[in-house]
Amino acid sequence: MFNRFKSALLSSVGAAESAAAAAQAAVTDGAEAAGGPAARPAKFAYGRPAFLQLETEDELQVAGDRVIRPIIVPRDSSRLPWTAGYAEAVNAGKSKRNEDAAAVYTGVLHQPPPGGPAGDGDGDGLQRTGRSVPYYYFGLFDGHAGHGASVAAAHQLHHIIHERLVDVLDHLLPPDPSAAEAAPAPGVRAASLWIPAEEVAPEKLVTGALEAAFNDMDALIAEDRLKYDMRGGCTAVVALLLLGRLYVANAGDSRATYCRHGRAVIASHDFTPETERHRVRQLACQQPALTGGEFTHLDFARRVGRRDLGKRVLYRDAHMTGWAYKTVTERDLRFPIVCGDGKRSRVCATIGVTRGFGDHDLKAQNTNVNIKPFLSSQPQVLVVDLEEEAVTESDVLVMATDGLWDVISNERAAELVEQSLAAFPADDVTKRRYRCTSAAQDLVMSARGKLKERLWRLSDGTMATIDDISVFVVPMLPYREEHLLWKLGQEASAVRCAPAEPPSGVRQVSEPAQLDRYQSLVEQCGRPSPPAGTSPSGNPSGAAAAAAAAAAAAAEDPVETGVEPEFADAETGEPAAANGPVPAANGPSGTPPAAEQVGTVPVTWFGGEDATPVSRPAPR
Amino acid sequence: MSYAYLFKYIIIGDTGVGKSCLLLQFTDKRFQPVHDLTIGVEFGARMITIDGKQVKLQIWDTAGQEAFRSITRSYYRGAAGALLVYDITRRDTFNHLTTWLEDARQHSNSNMVIMLIGNKSDLESRRDVKREEGEAFAREHGLIFMETSAKTAANVEEAFINTAKEIYEKIQEGVFDINNEANGIKLGPQHSPAAAGGMAAGGLGGSQGGGCC
Repeated sequence: MFNRFKSALLSSVGAAESAAAAAQAAVTDGAEAAGGPAARPAKFAYGRPAFLQLETEDELQVAGDRVIRPIIVPRDSSRLPWTAGYAEAVNAGKSKRNEDAAAVYTGVLHQPPPGGPAGDGDGDGLQRTGRSVPYYYFGLFDGHAGHGASVAAAHQLHHIIHERLVDVLDHLLPPDPSAAEAAPAPGVRAASLWIPAEEVAPEKLVTGALEAAFNDMDALIAEDRLKYDMRGGCTAVVALLLLGRLYVANAGDSRATYCRHGRAVIASHDFTPETERHRVRQLACQQPALTGGEFTHLDFARRVGRRDLGKRVLYRDAHMTGWAYKTVTERDLRFPIVCGDGKRSRVCATIGVTRGFGDHDLKAQNTNVNIKPFLSSQPQVLVVDLEEEAVTESDVLVMATDGLWDVISNERAAELVEQSLAAFPADDVTKRRYRCTSAAQDLVMSARGKLKERLWRLSDGTMATIDDISVFVVPMLPYREEHLLWKLGQEASAVRCAPAEPPSGVRQVSEPAQLDRYQSLVEQCGRPSPPAGTSPSGNPSGAAAAAAAAAAAAAEDPVETGVEPEFADAETGEPAAANGPVPAANGPSGTPPAAEQVGTVPVTWFGGEDATPVSRPAPR
Repeated sequence: MSYAYLFKYIIIGDTGVGKSCLLLQFTDKRFQPVHDLTIGVEFGARMITIDGKQVKLQIWDTAGQEAFRSITRSYYRGAAGALLVYDITRRDTFNHLTTWLEDARQHSNSNMVIMLIGNKSDLESRRDVKREEGEAFAREHGLIFMETSAKTAANVEEAFINTAKEIYEKIQEGVFDINNEANGIKLGPQHSPAAAGGMAAGGLGGSQGGGCC
């Protein structure tokens, strides 16, 4: 997608700017601020993700060796929460640098104590420090036409999300029992908060925070590009672990896939010109001025040319999913606003991704048509309730840029992860810290392949990706355990703080019962919690036994929901399955995985558009 | 810092023989008794002086674990020198040398200089592989041989520098095509003899500063 995209970019800028771009390309590392129109400083210096600790130019250079394409993993796996895994490899010459960017952030949302941060405000000797909510953030950004947008997003998006979360924190937490004592006058409360008529579920607020933050991020890049050298655009996929839930926000063609026991349970939806054909054509139809008279929103069953003038050809309008006949006129000869299939699909014959950040100055190839109006920064948000789930040691979220997904199906990725995890068992104290790192490395290796006769090939000889590849493998169980402990701590402190006569609405919890529960939870957290009916993972064969049990369960009842997470799509309220079909058809094995149940549901995302399954090209 | 030549090295051998420790001792002049398992690949660099010329060694330290072997193999390409390391206190690491050597010969260029290293020479009391055995293996396969201790730093400098000298000699003899980067040799910006002469402070085998340059 990018070669054409790049040439489009070059051909659309003026000669002077091309020269500046060439000059820019010629300057050496770290000296980005060259002369000419590109003299604006970079807001963020180029670098690899901070947790890789690649600090010197030497290290950056070796990590970015496009001939060897080394697979880079964190030197110190404890840099990531719960020794989550990360690995990356640079492209094979597609762009000068690895334009993928990644960020990990561990944050705490702090709610000041009622009555202000002064602590012991009411003189009862109890220190009030307020409540703190920990959260974890993982972000991947696949840049194109430069690293400006991807690096900016990696540096800033988590801060924006944090601000947005702080905004709604009062609604995310259950009522603070100690607040009842120092409850502000009702008028104050009503004035400081808009209280919706209907109660809004916390996950809707977090989803809203993510969506708003994505929009803010794009607006910030729009603003910053006027002050700084910040070029290109990027996709964004973010995983947020907060209050016992996993939120995956995705805008673009990177993907997050939830894997369990070697199976892909659910995946985020890819936004490409092909999958967003409907939205883009609708927009072109409703606002034809945006196309500059260069593109048509009509879709023809085949490319029409001059010789078709006056002939009847199958077409569909923006309001159609099926086909009808139309007599071809001069106006129909314009280029379709969305053309091509799969990886080669393009908007305005130029760009191959439709969501993400940046691209504010991008023009359609050889025209003066702005592409940005057709792009969107809105993410789709998936929510998984980890508190309710029977989360196992094998539950991981695989997040990766399209470098991985172009050649590895969700099912294959899940299998590879399972194999890697088995090589570093969770119950082996010396090895467990490497398990996710090794899984991430294996995934990158399986997509990068090996150089054979000057071509990058997979082990079966088919073509490997030449794109940048970045992969996170995030274990879900440690977060779940951490969250349950945090929750119990909250409940315990609520008991301590609760006044003798609790105000209505505050559940009175008896302390001994509370302690019992705490005790049992600590025990439960002390060892991995296996799914019901399987042996504990403390047993060396636990993982295999669990996998076998799950497979057996799946064989008996393929739509077994007891072990599948409750995936809800925050945007539509429909089961996300309808929107996030797993391209299970890509799976090499003949047995239909449970995910396929999901995958066969018609795509209803954005009003029942394209019936084409939203899937990547099959790797083989 | 500019250099006349850049040589790319790789360090290979079984897990736990001390590859990462050798690298750390050479680049940072320190020893870390407990070292994380190397999962992927690590880098180090140091400038040395050979024949009055600044030579930069760029060293790729690889994972020894069997599970990572196929990934490790893809790093052999484009290396001018290899340190093949075994542990003198563990015979199995010596027994695996043939496999490592085959791997290296198969996946690297034929001119690659290979230095055989018997590490942990400070643990004489626990020695399991005789020095003569190492020497014999090296002779048989045309390798240079040294016993080192990453802990005491004994022979560590020499191991890296002697390998570089051997590569340098091969360049002088015209064995290496220095214009082909696939050989693991890169000409630096200051290659002209005048510039090199001006820079050279140390003599043959002398070294400068640690850390990555």
